[in-house]
Amino acid sequence: MTIVAASRVSPRRGGTGVRWLIGRLGGLLFVLWAAATLTFFALRLIPGDPAEALLGGPGSQASDEALAAAREEYGLNQPLWMQYLAQMGRYLLLDFGTSYSLREPVSSVIAEQFPGTLLLASLALALAWVLAITVAVWSARSGRIAGALGSALEVVAVALPHFWLATSLVLLFSTTLGWLPPISGRSPSGLVLPVITLAIPLAGFLGQVMRESLLNALSSPFAQSARTRGETATGVIWRHGLRHAALPAIGLSGWAFGTLVSGAVVVETVFARPGLGRTLLSAVQARDIPLVTGTVLVVALAYSLVTTLTDVLDRIADPRLRTEANA
Amino acid sequence: MAIRPSSPSRTATSRTKTSRTAATRAGLAISGLTLTALILSGCAPAADNGGSSDPVAGGTLTYATGDAEPTCLDPHVGGNYPQALVATQYLESLVSLDASGAVIPWLATEWSEAEDGLSWDFTLRDNVTFTDGEPLNAAAVQANVAHVQDPATGSSTGYLALGKVTGVEAVSDTVVRFTLSAPDSALLESLSQPWVAMQSPAALERAKEVNCESPVGTGPFVVTEWDRQNSITLERNDDYTSPPADAADGDGPYLDSIVWRFVPDSATRYAALASGEVDVIDNAQPDALVAADDDDSLEELDAPRPGASNRLELNSGIAPFNDVAVREAFIRAANVNDGITSLFFGTAERSYSALSSVEPLGVSDPDLFDFDLEKSNELLDAAGWTERDADGYRVKDGERLTVTFPVSTNQSIPAEQSLFEQIQATTKEAGFDVVLEPGDLSTWYATLAANEYNVVSAPYTKVGPDVLRILYHSDGITPAPSGYFANLAQVNLPELDTLLTEASEVSDAEQRSQLYADAQQIVLDGFYILPLYDQQNHYLYNTAVEGLRAMPTVSTPTLAEAWLDR
Repeated sequence: MTIVAASRVSPRRGGTGVRWLIGRLGGLLFVLWAAATLTFFALRLIPGDPAEALLGGPGSQASDEALAAAREEYGLNQPLWMQYLAQMGRYLLLDFGTSYSLREPVSSVIAEQFPGTLLLASLALALAWVLAITVAVWSARSGRIAGALGSALEVVAVALPHFWLATSLVLLFSTTLGWLPPISGRSPSGLVLPVITLAIPLAGFLGQVMRESLLNALSSPFAQSARTRGETATGVIWRHGLRHAALPAIGLSGWAFGTLVSGAVVVETVFARPGLGRTLLSAVQARDIPLVTGTVLVVALAYSLVTTLTDVLDRIADPRLRTEANA
Repeated sequence: MAIRPSSPSRTATSRTKTSRTAATRAGLAISGLTLTALILSGCAPAADNGGSSDPVAGGTLTYATGDAEPTCLDPHVGGNYPQALVATQYLESLVSLDASGAVIPWLATEWSEAEDGLSWDFTLRDNVTFTDGEPLNAAAVQANVAHVQDPATGSSTGYLALGKVTGVEAVSDTVVRFTLSAPDSALLESLSQPWVAMQSPAALERAKEVNCESPVGTGPFVVTEWDRQNSITLERNDDYTSPPADAADGDGPYLDSIVWRFVPDSATRYAALASGEVDVIDNAQPDALVAADDDDSLEELDAPRPGASNRLELNSGIAPFNDVAVREAFIRAANVNDGITSLFFGTAERSYSALSSVEPLGVSDPDLFDFDLEKSNELLDAAGWTERDADGYRVKDGERLTVTFPVSTNQSIPAEQSLFEQIQATTKEAGFDVVLEPGDLSTWYATLAANEYNVVSAPYTKVGPDVLRILYHSDGITPAPSGYFANLAQVNLPELDTLLTEASEVSDAEQRSQLYADAQQIVLDGFYILPLYDQQNHYLYNTAVEGLRAMPTVSTPTLAEAWLDR
């Protein structure tokens, strides 16, 4: 929760919206640089030879000439720091390079695979919100037992691993009931199970946060005064309580988006769904540095944008922030 | 054809419904039922149990593969099994093998070896054209060999297969001559592999990325679309004229198209097959095979891969396995059979050979691999590993009897990884401290290249017994430029080298067979390896699919004669 608080404080101290925006932009560039740098060196420090990705993958019995040709072509015979600088230089020119293993420009691989993952993550986030609000409101309205039940549901949901959940959903909805295809592919009906798989644990998490602050809000003085003004129970929850309860959950949605992308690695694999998660997995296994770094950059960028967006939403949902920041 | 129980067969076995459950319940039933299945499938070339009418043309077959998605659809580039699986549908080789392992005509109708063994003439089939209209002629073969041998292609498997080929010349339009640096008794077997299949010379001229996406062959199907991470679409080659000599009579290919889907998760793959969403799956795991036994709409095709068996290689190059007594002690202490029974549910048969059971020249010696803890303890005592530390592990000169075992999580299926854990547990009784090190493929190869392993399981697929030379000739200890070396047991015996070199050059079949038998006996007697089972290669398919069979070369499925009965 401290993260949320910190990001809410900064715009106030930053003064005008423009300065706030410049600060955010600088932070964004730093995040991107750090992500690219960490990825580059992490991949070079773990065992494995990227030149082999160029020649049919690890364990290649490629000839000396073939290896030399590959290293020359992609500059892998240069010292590590030169390779690093060259790569950073290319990024400044918005050139993401060519994937070693796929022999395709990284930008076109990402352009092809990112929309699917983005759609998956967005729908999962939306569904998680709907589920979390439903459970929170229902348990806040229906008394102590419902509260305990809602809380238990949330704890279980949070603890479910994506892998287990995905396999169980396939067993239930594909094998037993035959309602939905186990292979997701690119079809809309194939989206249902992956979205549910990603949404359930996240809904549990958001629900925990939301229900706690909803209960706090409902017992706070402003809710009491609304009630004395003659507001109905429903009105108190929807007009006053939920707005209050949504704040921490909105702040966490940026973080949630990050977990959704990592969850996509598992979900896209289990449901055989094309996307960036699977791209990342196979690229790491092949030590395909340009593709891994490019993918990480795009995910970091998306993550930063979502975080910025949640900060803006935060200001809209919280009138205290709005007035102070606009003053 | 008649198949005797003692003779190995390349014929893929189509198991009867009851075989698996019966086999798990009563071990005795295994041999009888497998034999029945062998004979049944030996009689019918298509791996189906008959009862069906004439082939029907048309329809789309969906194939779900659990192998990795190839990064290039031209198997000359790199050269791995995922490429071979799909390339079997659109590329063809000069020769093939029949169910008995004999070399048979394919794109070449006949061939002859020169007296000195230094050149081979191949006569090509008439009137075969690639699907881009280019003719298959001597010049085309020349262009293909040049492509495989060009460093820019980045071929590794095909490059090794053509290692002794120094030149190719066109004797006439339909006769092509290979010249060799030394006689090569494995040349025909090498040429039967999909990694050196023939492609249109005009297509090979295109940029590498283009040829990777749409290779052009003479096969029954044509690659029309590759939707990355999702599927490859193949359409029927209406002008197809060149099936291998053992193909069933008929006017296939029958299927209009094939959708080749990438489904990495084995449970999802099986669920998709069971629900009818896909028609054929590969890499069926033991649990899926057992479940399929109870499903009347599913059939199994069991086609072990050729070349080496799946076996543990004991690194004799470094301590403690540089001592033959310690190697034997480890092998005697490993209770493999109970592990296979409990983890593979009767879907895998124990091997006692360095070679796959489909290799006719394989030698088995079960007596060498008896589980015998007492013997193991005696051997270790005699070898000076007399003390045990507090954890029960043996110690000598203050050093624990530690065995490092890197495991490739990309290659070893979950059941196999569990088997390794059981071997770890049973060898602990004798005082071995087996340290399992799971890692992805890149990490695993790097550990091997650094010689930081004592035991390893490394599959090797190749047609023919020449794989023995790759795995156990001392030349294989010298790493390739990439750090890769194949002789992971680090067997370094001059008399074995002589046998393997001689076997690779001799043209007399009987002599060749004897030389390979002697060589295998040396490897087995020296306790360099612990064979486990064949490289598992199980396909499951919907009963609506008829005429599916596995190529007797590298056991990839071919849909050339397949049709849909629905």
